[in-house]
Amino acid sequence: MYVKNIDYREIHIISSHNLAVREEETIVRVAGAAGDGVQSAGMIISKVFVRNGLNVMTYNYYQDVIRGGQSWYQIRGSHNPVRSQGDGLDILIALNRDGLERHTNPEINEGGASPLEGIAIFDQGITDYSPRSARYCPMPLAEIAAKHSKVALVKNTVAIGAAMASLGIDFSIVADVIRDTFGTKGNVAEQNVSAAKEGYETYKAKYPPLNKRLKTGGKGKLLLSGGEAVGLGAVSGGLKMYIAYPMTPASSCLHFLAAHAKQYDLFVKIPEDEISAINMAIGANYAGVRAMTGSSGGGFSLMVEALGMAGMLEIPIVVYESQRPGPSTGIPTKTEQGDLNLVLGASQGDFPRIILAPGDAAQSFYLTREALNIADTYQAPVIVMSDLYLSEHEESVDGLDLSFTPDYGKRPGDGEANYRRYLITDDGISPRAVPGQEGLMHNEDSDEHDEYGNVVSDAETDPRKRVAIMEKRMRKLEAYRSTIPATDTYRFDDADVAVVQWGSTRGVVEEAIDLLRERGIRAGAVEVTHVFPLNSDIEKLLKGKKVIVVEGNYTGQFNRLLKSEFPVDTVLVNKFNGEAFYPGELAGMIQGAIRN
Amino acid sequence: MITVKDYEGSVKPDWCPACGNFAQLSAIKGSLTELGVSPSNAVVVSGIGCSSNLPEFIRAYGFHGIHGRSLPVASAIKWANPKLTVIAYGGDGDGFFEGTQHFFHTAKRNVDITYIVSDNQVFGLTTGQASPTAQLGYVSKSTPEGNIEKPINPLTFALAAGATFVARGFSGDPKHLQDLVKKGIQHKGFSFIDVLSPCVTFNKTNTYDFFRKRVYRYESPDTGDFMAAYKKCEEWGDRIPIGLLYESIQETYEEKDPVYRKGPIIESPYRGITPQDLQEFL
Repeated sequence: MYVKNIDYREIHIISSHNLAVREEETIVRVAGAAGDGVQSAGMIISKVFVRNGLNVMTYNYYQDVIRGGQSWYQIRGSHNPVRSQGDGLDILIALNRDGLERHTNPEINEGGASPLEGIAIFDQGITDYSPRSARYCPMPLAEIAAKHSKVALVKNTVAIGAAMASLGIDFSIVADVIRDTFGTKGNVAEQNVSAAKEGYETYKAKYPPLNKRLKTGGKGKLLLSGGEAVGLGAVSGGLKMYIAYPMTPASSCLHFLAAHAKQYDLFVKIPEDEISAINMAIGANYAGVRAMTGSSGGGFSLMVEALGMAGMLEIPIVVYESQRPGPSTGIPTKTEQGDLNLVLGASQGDFPRIILAPGDAAQSFYLTREALNIADTYQAPVIVMSDLYLSEHEESVDGLDLSFTPDYGKRPGDGEANYRRYLITDDGISPRAVPGQEGLMHNEDSDEHDEYGNVVSDAETDPRKRVAIMEKRMRKLEAYRSTIPATDTYRFDDADVAVVQWGSTRGVVEEAIDLLRERGIRAGAVEVTHVFPLNSDIEKLLKGKKVIVVEGNYTGQFNRLLKSEFPVDTVLVNKFNGEAFYPGELAGMIQGAIRN
Repeated sequence: MITVKDYEGSVKPDWCPACGNFAQLSAIKGSLTELGVSPSNAVVVSGIGCSSNLPEFIRAYGFHGIHGRSLPVASAIKWANPKLTVIAYGGDGDGFFEGTQHFFHTAKRNVDITYIVSDNQVFGLTTGQASPTAQLGYVSKSTPEGNIEKPINPLTFALAAGATFVARGFSGDPKHLQDLVKKGIQHKGFSFIDVLSPCVTFNKTNTYDFFRKRVYRYESPDTGDFMAAYKKCEEWGDRIPIGLLYESIQETYEEKDPVYRKGPIIESPYRGITPQDLQEFL
């Protein structure tokens, strides 16, 4: 039986009593059609924020079109921690009339985002809008742009200047970011800087600043998307080859690595399909070179048979799986956590597999390189699960620990006598020879085999050998299980309510818990990054608590895994409309679940 | 000094007596020996099928993977360590049904590996269904009324894909076959050898006698003439040419990818991420 789904359309949204918190953060949204430069404008603002030492979370709302449609890019910045896209909207930069109407209209609550509470910056040529409660700040964006450049999109830069003026941000950092963005080609950068400057001054002369108290001027931070963080983590982990077929939202990692292949001495390849991609990555690992593949659910489905082969041949392989809503093509540009059953059950038979799910960009970096070491150590498939929300949005990261020692696992010495590729050992791990090693020739076989790699499934079927080798392989999982780090928790010491989450919902769950705590509800979070096998410490953490599982899918796939591993009663809080949870909404859903 | 004995596997082949695969196993072992390739540097990758069991029967690095997928595995092994001699091996069902897209694209990429197909026009391991090269009218378990699908021509397919070495051998002419395999391994780039290989158990049509009557050794006057080669590859019926039909020397994939400028990937040291690498994210 599935837990009854909560109707997220009728959620009581909880907002913070602490108004100071809202004054210490700002949410800026750039809205327009695809092709209007929404994302580029948003990236500039994000960079201005992180260079000012602010914490940043962005949210990218886009559609499956190359041009047209409606998209928006939101930047939440604060000197306090920001762990989700947040609730509320302070500054709207509307690049077209539709954008202005949508984001000021409480009836069109797109993706669960809040309507504008602050100012709207738009070109004064847009006049035929229906006025609502927002503060309208029409500006001569196109007119100013035309003074500085022949390129119409420069009006976006003018609007950025105006928005930064409303927050009282030092213009010199805005100018630096614009210069870095447009580069040294011709005078494009300087045209944009002067256009932004005039937008900045014009706003200051015409309109009052927003009532915000952002502490700027702190140490700059990194701005990373989850997809980039996976790529960086992979290279930090010693990756030499990335072979993948394009599929949103896993492609951001592919694009990042392809663009940096030269810099990182990396082999990057798009082959004919995902089947080829994973077989190639397995082939490279077999030959002793760290290689990875990545895709979303559709592509991962094609990789399923080869994943089992890696399990059988005991070849390390890391697969980056970034989820989007299914089934089938589903919603290519939206988010969901609906592939856990697929990844857990991928391929016939039993074999050790390990599933990791980072909760933010920094964890995407650390867990990907950890995955490479785990795969080599246990000679087994490791799947790093992310989703569109985590893969495609940028967030600030304070810094990354770049020191790392690759662990290539047990390897035999050249010419070792009586070499057995699948030597039966206590921990199930056998020394792995790679081709080119002197005298260690052997066969690795997808048919069941003995210690030497010789087939025992055909003419010489031997049930005892089958049992011995099967148990050897499965022992690797037990050996790994004992190394899983203690499960993370948040505000958990005095909690009566345990909110269990996995993957990308980590930040929003923490913010929802803060909101619930303001209302006297003693909730805390259990934050699962090592999804399979689960750390047995979770059972103890959940004992005696009201347990609520939060995840982004219909049936509660993680909830079911949790209940299959531990004797625990849970209530599922889920969402599957394609958008990520919002903190106020999630707090309301959890509150509802506690009452039920 | 490498001898054929060095390639002698500990497991005896489980193929039917007189199976065409024996001649190919022998040709592969003989060619590697003649070329002085150490078994430590030889890798044989296969898919699934009777012929694909071969890696178990040779003392080299063997990779017996899954149906149709030998070529991606073999390509990446070569990419990871270009010093290895990599041979992909399998049957016509494996290569021309499930492996079709890999065959096409591996040929197009000109990866420096050798692909040998034991082409017996039938599925052996699954006990006798029509394969993609089964002749029209061929009666099998899957086509009791006779095959109504035209067979594919692996040679013209390889040519169309851009293969730089296309040859046909015959298991009934092992000396000639070994010479082709040797040439294929020596060829810089993707070499494809389709081997007419009678299945003595399930194919009662395309027998040794059938081929002996038709097959003739063909010496191309100009192996670089693509159109002439294409035409020759289409010859099938009373007379079937065997031999090297097309060869051209072109840059391999490995020669084109700039990553190899610093040497083989397997020898490249751990790089990691440096603080300078993070500058662009500030």
